[in-house]
Amino acid sequence: MQISALNPGFVGEVYGIDISAPLSLDQVAAIEAGMDQYGVLVFRDQKLTDEQQCEYSRNFGELEATLIGQMSKPSERRLGPVEMGDISNLGPDGKLRGRDDNRRMYALGNRLWHADASFRATGAIYSLPSARVVPGFGGNTEFADMRAAYDALDTATKALIEDLVTEHSIAFSRAELGFDDYGEGNADKIRPVRHSLVRTHPVTRRKSLYLSAHIGTILGWPMPEARAFIRDLTEHATQPQFRHAHQWRVNDLVMWDNRTTMHRARRYRDLEEVRDLRRTTIRGIGLTAAQVPAMAAE
Amino acid sequence: MNIAPLTPGFAGDVTGIDLTKKLSASQVAAIEAGMDAFAVLIFHDQDFDDDTQLAFSRNFGELEISSGGEMSKPEDRRLKLEMADISNLDRNSNLRGADDRVRLSALGNRLWHSDASFRAVPAKYSLLSARIVPASGGNTEFADMRAAYDALDEATKLQIEGLVTEHSNAYSRELIGFSKEDYGDRNQDKLRPVRQSLVRTHPVTGRKSLYLSAHIGTIVGWPVPEARAFIRDLTEHATQSCFVHAHVWRPRDLVIWDNRTTMHRARRYNDLGEIRDMHRSTIRGDAMTALQQEAA
Repeated sequence: MQISALNPGFVGEVYGIDISAPLSLDQVAAIEAGMDQYGVLVFRDQKLTDEQQCEYSRNFGELEATLIGQMSKPSERRLGPVEMGDISNLGPDGKLRGRDDNRRMYALGNRLWHADASFRATGAIYSLPSARVVPGFGGNTEFADMRAAYDALDTATKALIEDLVTEHSIAFSRAELGFDDYGEGNADKIRPVRHSLVRTHPVTRRKSLYLSAHIGTILGWPMPEARAFIRDLTEHATQPQFRHAHQWRVNDLVMWDNRTTMHRARRYRDLEEVRDLRRTTIRGIGLTAAQVPAMAAE
Repeated sequence: MNIAPLTPGFAGDVTGIDLTKKLSASQVAAIEAGMDAFAVLIFHDQDFDDDTQLAFSRNFGELEISSGGEMSKPEDRRLKLEMADISNLDRNSNLRGADDRVRLSALGNRLWHSDASFRAVPAKYSLLSARIVPASGGNTEFADMRAAYDALDEATKLQIEGLVTEHSNAYSRELIGFSKEDYGDRNQDKLRPVRQSLVRTHPVTGRKSLYLSAHIGTIVGWPVPEARAFIRDLTEHATQSCFVHAHVWRPRDLVIWDNRTTMHRARRYNDLGEIRDMHRSTIRGDAMTALQQEAA
């Protein structure tokens, strides 16, 4: 297995490995070392079934259920297990979703810069989407390096943010786009959780900005001031020099570390062309900040 | 009067004129021609008080009432109704506290916007005079909506050509978590959305520009989340560094910008510790950019 840098220190392309087959401990360790060094790894030409994708993903930890899967009735889900995130524009019948479809509206929130599952107290470690069908045009995923963005802050800003704690909820990112229709019985899933704004990677010990569109406020700050400040930080952290755009090909698997990166999806003609990505997610370990007891979403 | 380009075709530095004195018709015409050529003009060392600023501003049209003033009770205003109070001071000229509602609403000025785009007849020029500036921070940034329009690909130009957007002050404030209720009962009628064309044409130069603003809440006929995601993408495009000019304020600067062809935003400063006192007069536009919805 070899890794060649697509974006030095941030995005690497991996060659010489078939991830549909069981991996040795050494191979898993080599991938993890690559993830720590880069933050995003791209594997081309990996034809995977859902089962193979789940099996590959379990090498890196426990699988996380997707929130929208948990919010949906079984009959509303196109893919079986709630651990298989449906990043597509298809309904449970396999047909393109209509313009006003609730799930389409919800999914538009993915066009905002975010870290997956930052609305959970434990966050997520890796996300691993596999591209099954890609559109002819558009639909790139863009990544931003939160370690490089942290390093580039001035000293005064680093001191200001060092101990700040933010509140994250799926409801905050969706409210930005005017969406608030989660259906009955899901109120507990949109309660805010707390995260440190600056986090340290457990292996590399590098600091990074833990930003996400799911942030609604900073503890102890008036909300509008917090939001304006988080917007400024996000703008800083997503400047072109910290960014990488991935153009999807069928059978790409891309892994990113949600502890050190943000990402977003770009527009495509989703009412006419199919984009079918399936995402597994590795559950986070530990909290980045103390929670309000019995309040936080799991 | 001489104009030196700071950002070619966008921001110009004007010298050789005292704006506090009565101007001749040809001087006014020269400034207007400069505004059309550039869109943002910067004049240094203009020692205005409110009366001379208002008198100078009237050369360019009718004055707009400030929305902040209009929404405040008379006893809460520090300045005249025609003079927007772009400061961190209360009516007693004390610094506003961290939780002051006026302060929190004013944080909306840190989002890219076009002044008074929430009025059916939106603003033409804004004229901002710096009376007291902080030691660091508090820049105003401008983005050129003509250049941003020109740089769009043909497919996007085609897609946006007939689009109509809805603007309200409540939309921009909602983005930073300042709710509609926070405006008070007496101001709810001032938050009703108005309609604007997304692409507008300058009446003198004939150049097209993107009419974007944080006050946009949706596109007529689009689902709201799709409209907002699209407007965010356009705004990101239109505020790339190649279209942006940052103005670092000095006391007695007067900056005029054309709201029909630019967006602007304020940057952060230490507003709990330092005074930033700017007075803004605003020139009302001539016409609506889109048909309004009949009153419900």
